[in-house]
Amino acid sequence: MAMKLSIFVALIALLLPLLSTAFSPETPTDRRILVLLDDQSIKSSHSIFFKSLQSRGYDLDFRLADDPKITLQRYGQYLYDGLILFSPHAKRFGGSLDLAGVLEFVDSGRDLVIAANGAASDLVRDIATECGVDFDVDSAAMVIDHTSYAVSKTDGDHTLIASDEFIQSDVILGSEKIKAPVIFRGIAHSLNPVNSLVLKVLSASPSAYSANPEVKLSSPPSMTGSSISLVSVVQARNNARILISGSLDLFSDRLFGSGVQKAGSETIFEKSGNEQFVTELSKWVFHERGHLKAVSIQHHKVGEVVEPAMYRIKDDLEFSVEIYEWSGKSWEPYVSDDVQVQFYMMSPYVLKTLSTNQKGLYSTSFKVPDVYGVFQFKVEYHRLGYTGLSLSKQIPVRPFRHNEYERFITTAFPYYGGSFSMMAGFFVFTIVYLYNK
Amino acid sequence: MAKTTAKDAQDLFRALRSAYAATPTKLKIIDIYVVFAIFTALIQVVYMGIVGSFPFNSFLSGVLSCVGTAVLAVCLRIQVNKDNKEFKDLPPERAFADFVLCNVVLHLVIMNFIG
Repeated sequence: MAMKLSIFVALIALLLPLLSTAFSPETPTDRRILVLLDDQSIKSSHSIFFKSLQSRGYDLDFRLADDPKITLQRYGQYLYDGLILFSPHAKRFGGSLDLAGVLEFVDSGRDLVIAANGAASDLVRDIATECGVDFDVDSAAMVIDHTSYAVSKTDGDHTLIASDEFIQSDVILGSEKIKAPVIFRGIAHSLNPVNSLVLKVLSASPSAYSANPEVKLSSPPSMTGSSISLVSVVQARNNARILISGSLDLFSDRLFGSGVQKAGSETIFEKSGNEQFVTELSKWVFHERGHLKAVSIQHHKVGEVVEPAMYRIKDDLEFSVEIYEWSGKSWEPYVSDDVQVQFYMMSPYVLKTLSTNQKGLYSTSFKVPDVYGVFQFKVEYHRLGYTGLSLSKQIPVRPFRHNEYERFITTAFPYYGGSFSMMAGFFVFTIVYLYNK
Repeated sequence: MAKTTAKDAQDLFRALRSAYAATPTKLKIIDIYVVFAIFTALIQVVYMGIVGSFPFNSFLSGVLSCVGTAVLAVCLRIQVNKDNKEFKDLPPERAFADFVLCNVVLHLVIMNFIG
């Protein structure tokens, strides 16, 4: 019996790493991605984007949005690490997938790419709304810009716009600057002001507005200027990442390859910035970049190595933590000078910036405050584009023991004298009082 | 006006002293003891004002031992005073025993706290 059990355990131990290769904390990059399409032609019209994903090692599973066999989970396990919704017109998904299913998928820490289009369905709008962005309610509206459109021979209504107003973040868009403007044809969305997690990655120029290009504008457009977001990203608190684009064409081969000349500018770019923009953004969304992990949080008294179970007030201690960044293939040391540690009980009593040795090790030393109670070492590190680090480690702090106080202090001698003289006085008084007749 | 005030004050003190002269010796001894305790406490408070409150527990125990002693002595004085009708059933020996017991407890506490 014991023999059987040990074989079983060994088998499980062998199989477990195989079963959980994807999206483990050790390798945060996604592996298996479900792509939902409106029709199969998108697969070929957006082939450069899909090829680039496949060449980076992703396993893409293409399905039509109304495929009745779509399922994200089997036996309670997710089959995919990422979901690409290139199905702006899908009224409902096939199979068991629905709005709640998509949100649950994100809530489990997995990633999502949504691309909408003119006449996007309510389902896609609802998913976007849940993610913190609101598409223009007018389903015929497009983003129009009469000053920074992309010059084109065929397009006269200025719905093909060229934007170079990117978010200033190397971690989201890569360290290489995107030189050519990104061309965009699609619908506008605005960020929900209540949602602090959603970010504009590509915003429209101040002269853009959202309206139906077919009809004459009779009333002021509902969304105008820089409040229009063309592409937005969300990083949820569980580090799930979401990319929301108002344009499916943004990812298309046609716009990847097309040249671009921004209206009013002499420069003609051979190739638009779309490919670089989308590739870098997809690297970020699928956790090839900007994923931090913290390991081996250690603390000990100065001059010791063993981590104590408890500190005393006014102890000098050293704290260290190692932070690494996922580069897509391996964990590289993360170097920054703004990581801070808090020594926290209800509020931070100590807040120190950690110094780094450039190899991922962050350390500092400080004195335990003159307050006892149950404290926590806390590292709260949230930076634009990076996954958040929220570490805490509890540690009690005790007061001095009775015999740890300083004794026979010279300053206190008058007080000692005072109380001893009271004792002597009591003695003398007793004698005088009793023997006085 | 000022002259009469000074004279009144002098008269007052004289009356007080002559009245106090009639106090029994036992009570006078207690009074000296109380004055001694309060005086010691004052010295310590002044000292604390000069050097600061660093061993605060020592300061507290030093001063409180004086204050406690003074309070206990005043209590003893109330109980052994023949003029106090309230305690006329309480024998002075009993009052003194209480005083001793309280002092012992007080000084034990002080010794524990003085650090």
